[in-house]
Amino acid sequence: MAVSSKIRVALLGCGQIADAHLSQIQRIRTAEVVGVCDVHPDLAWQAAVRFQVPQSFTCMEKMIVRTRPDVVHLTTPAQTHAALAIEIMELGCHVFVEKPFTLTGAEAQSVAEVARKMNKQVCVGHDQLFDPAWLTCKRWIHQGRIGDVRHIESILGYPIDGKFGNLVAGNPTHWVRKLPGGLFQNTISHPLYRITDLLIEQQPQLAGSWRTRPEFDFPTEMNLALQGRTQTGNLTFSTFLPPQRITRVYGTQGMIDIDFDGQIIRLNSQIKLPGAFGKLEAASRRFANSCWNLKQNFLQFSRSEIHYFAGMKTLFTKFYQSIQEGTPPPVPLEEIERVTFLMDRIFDHCRLVAHQSEALQQSFSPSLRIQSEVPVCL
Amino acid sequence: MPVTVLVTGATGFLGNRLLPQLLQEDVRIRCLVRSTSQTSRFHEGIPEELRSRVELINGDLSNCHDVDHALEGVEVVYHLAAALSGSCSTMFLNTVIPSRTLMEAAAISPVKRFVLISSLGVYGTKTTRRWGTLDETTPVDPHPEQRDIYSFSKIRQESVAWEVRDQLGLPLVVVRPGVIYGPGRSLVTSRVGLSLGPLLIRMGGGQPLPYTYVDNCAAAIVRAGLTPNIEGEIFNVVDDNLPTGRNIVRLLRKNGIPLRSIWIPRGLIGPLSSLYAWYSRWSEGQLPAVLSRYKSDAIWKPLRYSNLKARQKLHWSPIISTEEGLKRTIAAQPDVFAS
Repeated sequence: MAVSSKIRVALLGCGQIADAHLSQIQRIRTAEVVGVCDVHPDLAWQAAVRFQVPQSFTCMEKMIVRTRPDVVHLTTPAQTHAALAIEIMELGCHVFVEKPFTLTGAEAQSVAEVARKMNKQVCVGHDQLFDPAWLTCKRWIHQGRIGDVRHIESILGYPIDGKFGNLVAGNPTHWVRKLPGGLFQNTISHPLYRITDLLIEQQPQLAGSWRTRPEFDFPTEMNLALQGRTQTGNLTFSTFLPPQRITRVYGTQGMIDIDFDGQIIRLNSQIKLPGAFGKLEAASRRFANSCWNLKQNFLQFSRSEIHYFAGMKTLFTKFYQSIQEGTPPPVPLEEIERVTFLMDRIFDHCRLVAHQSEALQQSFSPSLRIQSEVPVCL
Repeated sequence: MPVTVLVTGATGFLGNRLLPQLLQEDVRIRCLVRSTSQTSRFHEGIPEELRSRVELINGDLSNCHDVDHALEGVEVVYHLAAALSGSCSTMFLNTVIPSRTLMEAAAISPVKRFVLISSLGVYGTKTTRRWGTLDETTPVDPHPEQRDIYSFSKIRQESVAWEVRDQLGLPLVVVRPGVIYGPGRSLVTSRVGLSLGPLLIRMGGGQPLPYTYVDNCAAAIVRAGLTPNIEGEIFNVVDDNLPTGRNIVRLLRKNGIPLRSIWIPRGLIGPLSSLYAWYSRWSEGQLPAVLSRYKSDAIWKPLRYSNLKARQKLHWSPIISTEEGLKRTIAAQPDVFAS
């Protein structure tokens, strides 16, 4: 393909996340959306009308044959990803798959095999790796500002009565509820890959569990520790917390705190002055850091660069470039497989812990415990 | 022999007030609700002796099997269920797609009347002159995609209904209520102005607001289902002596409800909307495209609203006056927006 020509993009699945894809593709001057498709004609129609897409379809094959796209964005429910991604590649297109990539690691492996065999590019929606705040954090780490990374903490606040949580909680037949990892499978990709991006161990040891709030019939809370030989990670997902996407990276010489929603990056380096002077130094550094963030956000606002899905635009641009230039995709296939397998392990682990905890509760008898623990006076 | 009616959206704001009024007629009511719907207070507004005439069944409107089951033996359908918020695709998934399933099933069943609760927001006011009268002859908006997503989904829902009527013979009657208000709902809607955090940006203030008190609206809907020989008709439902935004803000303040607001004079609404739309486009959506000249004309253009057709053909008139309706709404609780 000539590098100068516009890349032709089609989109399959016109649900909520499709809006984000279409709006970000529209911002890329080297790309054009040639068709959208959904099994529901009304959904396909509304996406086409709102984003001025020339054609809408209810059959994927028909869309690909008629519009001849270079790449198809797959934004259908995760249960369909593997089969559809393979079908899209067999019809001659590259494919961008929204997270979660597939239902299982085995499915991810089969998609990767077809991609390698057919020489097609595959990418996944790990867009926060390309968020301006994360890119700054990575730059600071490479500059050695916090030393060697030893611990990564990732938090996702996801109120169940919020605009996304409510859709799942309010609909007992929602496809998210049918995923092997339930609500978490559709949500923890982002906080998880923000950890694995800096974690040397491919498959760290796991500890932790998921829990269910009494008013719901599916697990809603998760806290998980990832343990490597020299690094650790911690992932917290909570429906009690207000919406927030926060990652903290702890190094041997300092810490970086990234608030993705506020686009705030805080650097905590070691205090050099002794005693009481150190307190003044710490506060003045915080102040300088806040001023720097204010200036950065002001500059970004003036340049119209503040977009919720800013990372998505960068990721798409890099993926399209990799297709046009035949270079590796921005998220390597190996990384996609690694994260998908790790998610399999996380859900298996949580299920096992939940099962063991249930069994323990059933066999628990307070009277027996008291008898065995209270010392007997002779 | 009582008529069996099916009501969707029965647990919603309007549905709650519709049931007691329907029960004054010789009907048996079946309500199709999702298993996750809040039904704990469902029977509260219904007199105990009438509760045996109300049947509650769980189901999903997008599921053909559930819909067929719900339609068994039904003669009149009141279709109120619709999404009020969410993304555009969510609105379509929860409004347009279930409506299509229900209407197609109703068209091939022995249903004799299908009452669709649409919205006064479906009208395109581009061609209507300022202070002109909006009635049932006003055309539907030709560019719904340029409107807010609620109006967009309601326009599509209605167009699907007319399509099913033309193709499958659905005995359709469309009710287009204005903004439905009453105890439990904020009086400060987008017709009054836009909320910016705790601040209200008041748009004009002298234009009449197409409001209808929930009980008045419910009464019109009941009649739309039971009045004979009105298939294919459309009825606008608004009250008499409509309030203005200025009236509502004054009334709230008079009742001690604080309201921080900025006033945009009517003459500036159009130019400011155009400016905002330009910036939103130029910044590639850094500020969302919530405002444009087209949208502001549709919401804040000064118009008069007629309810003459509903009065004549449904023999309906608003029982609760606007003054009384506003009083009851404010008395029930402080304004949601203001609080």
